[in-house]
Amino acid sequence: MSVRAQRLLGLAVFLTPALLWLLLLIVLPHVDLLLLSIRPKGGAGAVSPANYTRFFAEPIYWNTFARTAAYSILATFLTLLIAFPVAYYIAKVARGRAKGIMFLLCLLPFWVSELVRVYGWMILLRESGILSGLLVWTGLLPRPVEMLYNDLAILIGLVYTSMLFMVVPLVTVLDSLDDSLIEAAYDLGGTAPSILREIVIPHAMPGIAAGSIVVFMLTLGNYLTPALLGGKESLWFTEQIYNQFIIRFNWEQGSAFGFLLLILSSAIVWVGLRLTGQTLASAVQTR
Amino acid sequence: MTGPIDLEVRDVARSFGGFRAVQGVSFEIPKGSFFSILGPSGCGKTTLLRMIAGFLEPDAGDILIGGRSMLGVPPNRRPVNLIFQHLALFPMMSVAENVAYGLRRRGVGRAEIRERVEGMLTRIGLPGTGEKRIDQLSGGQKQRIAIARCLVLEPTALLLDEPLGALDLKLREQMKVELKLLQEQIGTTFVYITHDQSEALVMSDQVAVMNEGRFEQVDTPQGLYYRPQTAFVAGFVGESNRWQGAVAAAAGEEVRVRTREGMDLVARMADGLTAGHPVEVFVRPEGITLARAEAELGALPNRLAGTVETVLFDGAKSRVMVREARTGGEITAALPQSGRCADLAPGQTVHLGWEAGGGVCFRRAE
Repeated sequence: MSVRAQRLLGLAVFLTPALLWLLLLIVLPHVDLLLLSIRPKGGAGAVSPANYTRFFAEPIYWNTFARTAAYSILATFLTLLIAFPVAYYIAKVARGRAKGIMFLLCLLPFWVSELVRVYGWMILLRESGILSGLLVWTGLLPRPVEMLYNDLAILIGLVYTSMLFMVVPLVTVLDSLDDSLIEAAYDLGGTAPSILREIVIPHAMPGIAAGSIVVFMLTLGNYLTPALLGGKESLWFTEQIYNQFIIRFNWEQGSAFGFLLLILSSAIVWVGLRLTGQTLASAVQTR
Repeated sequence: MTGPIDLEVRDVARSFGGFRAVQGVSFEIPKGSFFSILGPSGCGKTTLLRMIAGFLEPDAGDILIGGRSMLGVPPNRRPVNLIFQHLALFPMMSVAENVAYGLRRRGVGRAEIRERVEGMLTRIGLPGTGEKRIDQLSGGQKQRIAIARCLVLEPTALLLDEPLGALDLKLREQMKVELKLLQEQIGTTFVYITHDQSEALVMSDQVAVMNEGRFEQVDTPQGLYYRPQTAFVAGFVGESNRWQGAVAAAAGEEVRVRTREGMDLVARMADGLTAGHPVEVFVRPEGITLARAEAELGALPNRLAGTVETVLFDGAKSRVMVREARTGGEITAALPQSGRCADLAPGQTVHLGWEAGGGVCFRRAE
């Protein structure tokens, strides 16, 4: 009995920081937001779902959300497309020191803040920027062109910002793929595309799911990149939340939007997992 | 056995950096035979096998399968298949999908694939396991599925890279017999590489002993055991007592050798030796007659007396270590199966003797 009591005490000691963190920083604020979101503006009056129904009633709100979700899915997919060959090269082709150096190169941009990284893109893409200047200098463009403040600029920024979060789980999962499986498939008549489809991707699925969930959630909840690269008209859903809280000072509506973002994005992740036949558990514990 | 040749390797060499892994290896394997390449780890046997499979290109020489040169042909186009050391079954597929993989890649029709896969599973004694997952199989079953996955493609030759290495002892013994029977039954040429001499001797029609990138001897298992051509083969295949010494006198096939310890032995000579040559003498423990009285040794030309140091009892493979009385040299002899010497104990005096042909003598590099 005393051994058991000791064990429980040990467990309590180790779990307390995590539980405190969960309770104080995640559960409590969310409960508060939930309570806020079901009240009318100003906080007085009866409980009502008006803040939630407004989201569906006003096309600008749910249109913005749909657009944000669609672009987030696209950005996640593009990130996967670019990160997969990079991760494959790091995990399977590079050896020894080269492997470590390449991994470090992927990590390097994340040593500066997101703001600086986004400014980097602004320097490249703006009308008086490097890319535009280069194209004019080579004669491909007659006059400088503004390349910022459009959807493509947002996408570029989002993909760049998300790369690492896709590369890391993919490298982990591809590292665990036994080289002899690839060789065996090759020996049995497999070609590179068929081996990728039948051996490598099925094996990497948990890593793909893990990376995609993280990138999708980060992209959907990103405020800085769409605001800076997309300009005033970026129409990103986080901007709507920001507007409610800061500009209109409508905390009740902002809280409702925050909750809708959480619920709808979770639903999208759930559908994504179901469609690819993955479970959250296998994605989380990417070997 | 001189049928058509399935696999021919001509003067193949391969280096990694400055290390010459395989140097000038040539051999031919007749159709339907079980050919083993036996050698210690690092001798180049895996490199050689990977060159045959197509994962490595030789620096020099040629590899012919079914009479066709394989230089520049990638592994997925070669009519040979490789069984990997850890089998490399695809865990993301069922047993049937594993066996069907190669057929699907060849574009065989669905109905035919199903029929051929089930037929193959029946032939290897695992009918109805098609729906199982790989991790539901035992070690021996995995082995058979890996073989089925290759054989369903009807390769000219099956290459096996120490596939029994990962199994426990009991299963390994059982799989040895099973593999041999399977090979005889289906008649496909097997090329088997191993560092375990018992696997090579039990299963093979022909064994090549490989050392430092070269073939030392290619022979039947009996030939390797009874008539080793080099000192390496004599030492590597089977157990041997090994003494260094010099030739005292040579006459025809026989040489008289004086060992460093001072023992005088008569042995068979493998290559032309004359008096004074430094040599090594190998004598198998199972070739030594053990007796309590010298008279029992009859007319054996080699006879020694000594005291028992230790008895290593291991059933049929029991050994006695004897210290020779005159020189203090150590000799290992097999315990006779008759039980005649079953009560031998350390400290007792024994007499040892063997035929001149029981020992073989090779020139020693100085």
